Amino acid sequence: MSEHPIALTINGQAYTGRIEGRLTLADYLRVNAGYTGVHVGCEQGVCGACTVIVDGRAVRSCLMLAVQADGSEVRTVESLAAPDGTLHPVQQAMRDNFGLQCGFCTPGILMTMAVLHDRKEPAGEDEMIAAMSGHICRCTGYQGIRRAIRQLTGSAEPAQEGAH
Amino acid sequence: MNAPGGIGAARYIGERMPRKEDGRLLTGRGTYVDDVVVPGMLHVAFARSPMARGRIVSIDTTMAKAMPGVHAVLTEADLARIPVTLLSFFMMPMEVETTLLARDRVAYVGDPVALIVATDRYLAEDAAGAVMVEYDEETPVVTIADARAAPPIHPDAASNVAATMGEDEPNPDLERALRGAAHVVERTLTHQRISQSPMETRGVVSAPQGDEELTLYITCQSPSVIARSVALSLGMPDLSIRVIAKDVGGSFGLKNTPWREELAVIAASLILQRPLKWIEDRLENLISANQAREQEMTLRIGFDAEGKLVASHCDYGINNGAYPQGADANVAVHAFLWAAYKMPAYGFLTRGWYTNTVGLAAYRGPWAMESYGREVLLDIAAREMGIDPIEIRRKNLVTRADQPCMTAFGMPLEDITPADCLEKLLRHFDVGAFRAEQAEARKAGRYLGLGFAVYIEPTGTAGSMPVMTGETVSVRIEPNGKVQAMLGTHSQGHGTATTMAQVIAEELGVRYEDVNVFEGDSSRGGYGPGAAGSRQGVIGGGAAVKAASLLRDKVKQVAAHVLNASPDAVTLERGTIRVAGAEEMTRSLREIAEIAYGEPARLPHGVGTGLEVTYRYDPPPVTFTSAAHAAIVEVDGDTGFVKIKRWISSEDCGVMINPAVVEGQIAGGLAQAIGTVLLEEFHYDERGNPTTATYKDYLLPTIFDVPDFEYVHANTPSQAAGGFRGVGEGGAIIGPPTLVNAIADALAPFGEIPLDLPLTPAKLLAVITGKPLSPQHHAAHPAAAAGDAAAPAPTPDDPGIAAVLAGVEPERIDPPTAAGAAVDGTWKLVMATPMGPQEMTARFATDGTTLMGALESPEGSQEFAGTAEGPNLRWEMKVTKPMPVTLKYDLTVTGDTLAGKCKMGMFGSAKVSGERA
Amino acid sequence: MKPAPFDYVGATSIDDAVAQLASGDATVIAGGQTLMPLLALRMSMPLTVVDINRVADLRGVSVSDQGVRIGAMTRQADLLTDAALAGALPPLVTAVRHVGHHQTRNRGTIGGSLVFAEPAAEMPATAVALGATLELRSAGGTRNVAAETFYLGPYMTDIVPDELLVAVTFPAWPRHARTVFREVAQRPGDFALVGLVGAVEIEGGAIARAGLAWFGMGPTPMRARQAESALVGRAPGDIRASEIAELAIADTDPFDDVHATAEYRREVGRRVFAQALTAALAQEGQA
Repeated sequence: MSEHPIALTINGQAYTGRIEGRLTLADYLRVNAGYTGVHVGCEQGVCGACTVIVDGRAVRSCLMLAVQADGSEVRTVESLAAPDGTLHPVQQAMRDNFGLQCGFCTPGILMTMAVLHDRKEPAGEDEMIAAMSGHICRCTGYQGIRRAIRQLTGSAEPAQEGAH
Repeated sequence: MNAPGGIGAARYIGERMPRKEDGRLLTGRGTYVDDVVVPGMLHVAFARSPMARGRIVSIDTTMAKAMPGVHAVLTEADLARIPVTLLSFFMMPMEVETTLLARDRVAYVGDPVALIVATDRYLAEDAAGAVMVEYDEETPVVTIADARAAPPIHPDAASNVAATMGEDEPNPDLERALRGAAHVVERTLTHQRISQSPMETRGVVSAPQGDEELTLYITCQSPSVIARSVALSLGMPDLSIRVIAKDVGGSFGLKNTPWREELAVIAASLILQRPLKWIEDRLENLISANQAREQEMTLRIGFDAEGKLVASHCDYGINNGAYPQGADANVAVHAFLWAAYKMPAYGFLTRGWYTNTVGLAAYRGPWAMESYGREVLLDIAAREMGIDPIEIRRKNLVTRADQPCMTAFGMPLEDITPADCLEKLLRHFDVGAFRAEQAEARKAGRYLGLGFAVYIEPTGTAGSMPVMTGETVSVRIEPNGKVQAMLGTHSQGHGTATTMAQVIAEELGVRYEDVNVFEGDSSRGGYGPGAAGSRQGVIGGGAAVKAASLLRDKVKQVAAHVLNASPDAVTLERGTIRVAGAEEMTRSLREIAEIAYGEPARLPHGVGTGLEVTYRYDPPPVTFTSAAHAAIVEVDGDTGFVKIKRWISSEDCGVMINPAVVEGQIAGGLAQAIGTVLLEEFHYDERGNPTTATYKDYLLPTIFDVPDFEYVHANTPSQAAGGFRGVGEGGAIIGPPTLVNAIADALAPFGEIPLDLPLTPAKLLAVITGKPLSPQHHAAHPAAAAGDAAAPAPTPDDPGIAAVLAGVEPERIDPPTAAGAAVDGTWKLVMATPMGPQEMTARFATDGTTLMGALESPEGSQEFAGTAEGPNLRWEMKVTKPMPVTLKYDLTVTGDTLAGKCKMGMFGSAKVSGERA
Repeated sequence: MKPAPFDYVGATSIDDAVAQLASGDATVIAGGQTLMPLLALRMSMPLTVVDINRVADLRGVSVSDQGVRIGAMTRQADLLTDAALAGALPPLVTAVRHVGHHQTRNRGTIGGSLVFAEPAAEMPATAVALGATLELRSAGGTRNVAAETFYLGPYMTDIVPDELLVAVTFPAWPRHARTVFREVAQRPGDFALVGLVGAVEIEGGAIARAGLAWFGMGPTPMRARQAESALVGRAPGDIRASEIAELAIADTDPFDDVHATAEYRREVGRRVFAQALTAALAQEGQA
């Protein structure tokens, strides 16, 4: 067992501390730093709920040791909305399209979407949907997630919206 | 968004209003159970059994207790200081002894053996690994087939039959009808085991505060149900229990009932007087959270020469695992199998089986096997008889003109619309064009298929089963004009805060944005079973309609008095009160509310202050939702992979509160159905070891596996307040047969597809190539079911129970000479009902072969008269609840014990056992 | 699912990492996308975890006339955006696209994937098919091992505990070599039920070189040697893909698991091999 000093930036705020080597980044963000928007769904790297942005890339925070984030810039879902409460475009698109139900997988999905949307050359529909293969949603059947992606990438709305 | 604007009546019901839950959930500000931190809280991990079956020789916790950060290591012997009774969803005790932790034996891989309390989860897991348990391993019973042949896995069970109902011997009339049918189809279908897999696993924070208060934060389907169940389980009458569950990350039936781990944590927190947190990890969730659906069904259907239904019989079994959440033979399968169809005669035998696997819990549409069996066999029959699959349904579905009528099972139908849903679906889909495309594709070696399925589902059930109750809505207009609503409804993703606010805003006449909904706390709102049986829209919605309209009446009454106008002339729209023809009298709701609270003198005579209403709504006993679905698939002839190209849902869930929420429920259920048919399988090897214990091997559907769904809505108002019908479970019920029928249609040129789910690429490619590419599954054959040796040989002292459990006639026993004295007196009886064991007290008095007596149950007392031929007692009695039925008891007395069965009309038979009081 | 305690050591150089490995029961963490779940499940409980993420010498792609050298710590995502690599070794880039998911490729490394030796994974088979050499370093020096002999069984390789994979070197393939690739997996990112990767070089109207290997078709990546031999020297127009597929299947040794049977893998392998080969031979060649 070993303890290590770390210093990192989370959502623009500097954090320092001493942590055990085995502590995962997900647990550090949730327990030590209080960013409970990071959701731990499987700790096997499959479900994607814990996805955060580390140095500009979407990664699974359950598959990183906290000590490995020393010196890094980490963003969680708590950083997406503007300080005045305005939702990030990916949050707004998910809201507009009923992209969530229980909301547990949502923060991870938003972080992958945000990275691809905020890129210098934003991802198109196919690339963004391909990146969604790394997220499991058990509630929605992905319907609203796909609509949100189409809204974000400017592709056509799906034809069916319910014939009343 | 279609948010309403402009002046006039604001319509919120039927609009795609943005969800009230989303603001917090999209910003990471939700509160799931693992987000709750209580000062002084410690963390729990469990040491679990590595084997499916064995005796515990010894447990040594010395090393674990000595590890850093460890506060306690508790075994069942420690927890037993607080006696805890596990209860089913129906609040009934378990049929076999079920302890919180394993006591002297383990019965499945993952069976909890010790509970470790430490300062954090890492340290708790370290210590869990240091609990030394010596086992004496035994041969496990894993499958239903194993269970049929093996001695009982539970020492206190007479056989591995956990529950049974129905006809245990052929019914001559039914057999005659089937023999006389022009065409009979018979198939055996098997359904794999499913992990409900909510993205948030189980978890609890148990925080005792002194010996009189206990606060539980728990991920669940209803805080009210958890509070009620935990109070009954603990049996501590002076303990005040509050249950809070703000946000829940899905449940799908898993979190109905607090189970062994949650109750163990609660008991440990009471013993240690410390707040404890246990968050199930995914490995625990996959191996030791109760699961669902492992079933087999042999279904026979007889048709006349025109394809009309004549008779049907079903032999059904479900794996209950070691400790089901209530032993279950899933009689609902039979109740709904033919509910939407004109079926003249139906019989069944249904059984649940104990095995050394994790126990059975609910999963969205627990009876869904009925639709799978029926709709798939209807297509097979249509193919064999040369009838179009749509026509065979048209010939047999219950239409509106047929109603009111009774189902084959004895349920009244008044307003189901499955035939209308099918016709509406067909207007949105050109079958002829598809058939032409399909024919062209086949020429090119591409295999397209079209599948249909039709069903009805019971929703919003209340009043017929004690735990399925009405709902209370409390609404108040605050002095500032804002509306606060307290409800017992509860969202695990359902968005009930949204839909209930829509109903309240519309009925009350206020802005949607001005309605705050509070739920998720047993100390607020009324008692309600939460999300179970697709009930919240119907019953919570109905309660919201009623409560809001009562409150609106009071607002009008107060406003009319204050403004000196007639109540009929007063309107309340979007929070503004107007008097017809007197624009100058327009007032804000706030002005009237301030008067209603603060100026009693200005209120009408006899009207109390405040603007508050609490209303408890009891809906009709059941509200049916109907649907017809169609799916188009392409099966890759080289790989056996299935691509879903199109899926159309045509459902009738009555008045829709929020179409986006309705469609979300349907889509979620369909995605789970796709997983069921193509991907998911929780698998055990022959030693009972789980082989799919991570999400790398238990395959959940991804965005690539689920197509864009299309929706056709019918909106036939129900008879419940507001006209709502439930929609939570349907997709998971109707999805599997729709998809299987489409695959079967695609591969029809090659022959019949297997009916053992999931339909893996290997199974489908085997159909295409005609080569054996998948392992041969051992499907239960009806002959095996009828002639199996389900139970061990009858033991000398208990032949009756063993024989009845085995599904065979009790052996005849010569009547004792003194029959009267052997029978007369008071007996304690237990009847195994679908809702759990029902305890009764019977008093018998014989006079020769005449039997007189009375039966007392919590529902009341009833007298009866019958016959006593030696030790054999028979009598009949009529009951009216849950529905009119004649009960025929047939019991045999052996010494001071008694056993036999009770025939309950179409419900089949229930086993009865008892002993002298 | 929390890792058991271990000493964490952040290596600063290759020599440092190798020295740490020599000191006892240590495991290397590169991208961690496979190791972290094993640690969390406590299926792996090393005393020491040596982190090579900050060793700059282990990262990067260098393309030369002799071939392509890729540092073991190079992340999969970076292989997808490397323009020189895309021109030099298209089959590798195609295969990397199928490794895991966007989020795991952002951390996962080529070296980690090569050393983990999952029989159904893309990277080991690609290394075998394209004739790569693995460069292993220990305190005792450097050892170069051909990928084809590196894989001994499921999750078993020729690497010894105190060795570190430093780089993988692919021999040069001409830019006009055709990519052969097909992966049959139940969901994107899953390990393959059946996988095939490789390259075919056509020179002067005939096949001059072929490198083909299966994944998910045996205990290790399975090189389709007989198929390769049969292809070399033949004109694309003379090739009957189904016959070559039979030879390729003869070099597999598939297994049953919960997702598919060995028979299924053979049957599908036969079909997709023929399709993938035909598609490769039909590609527009640049020479």
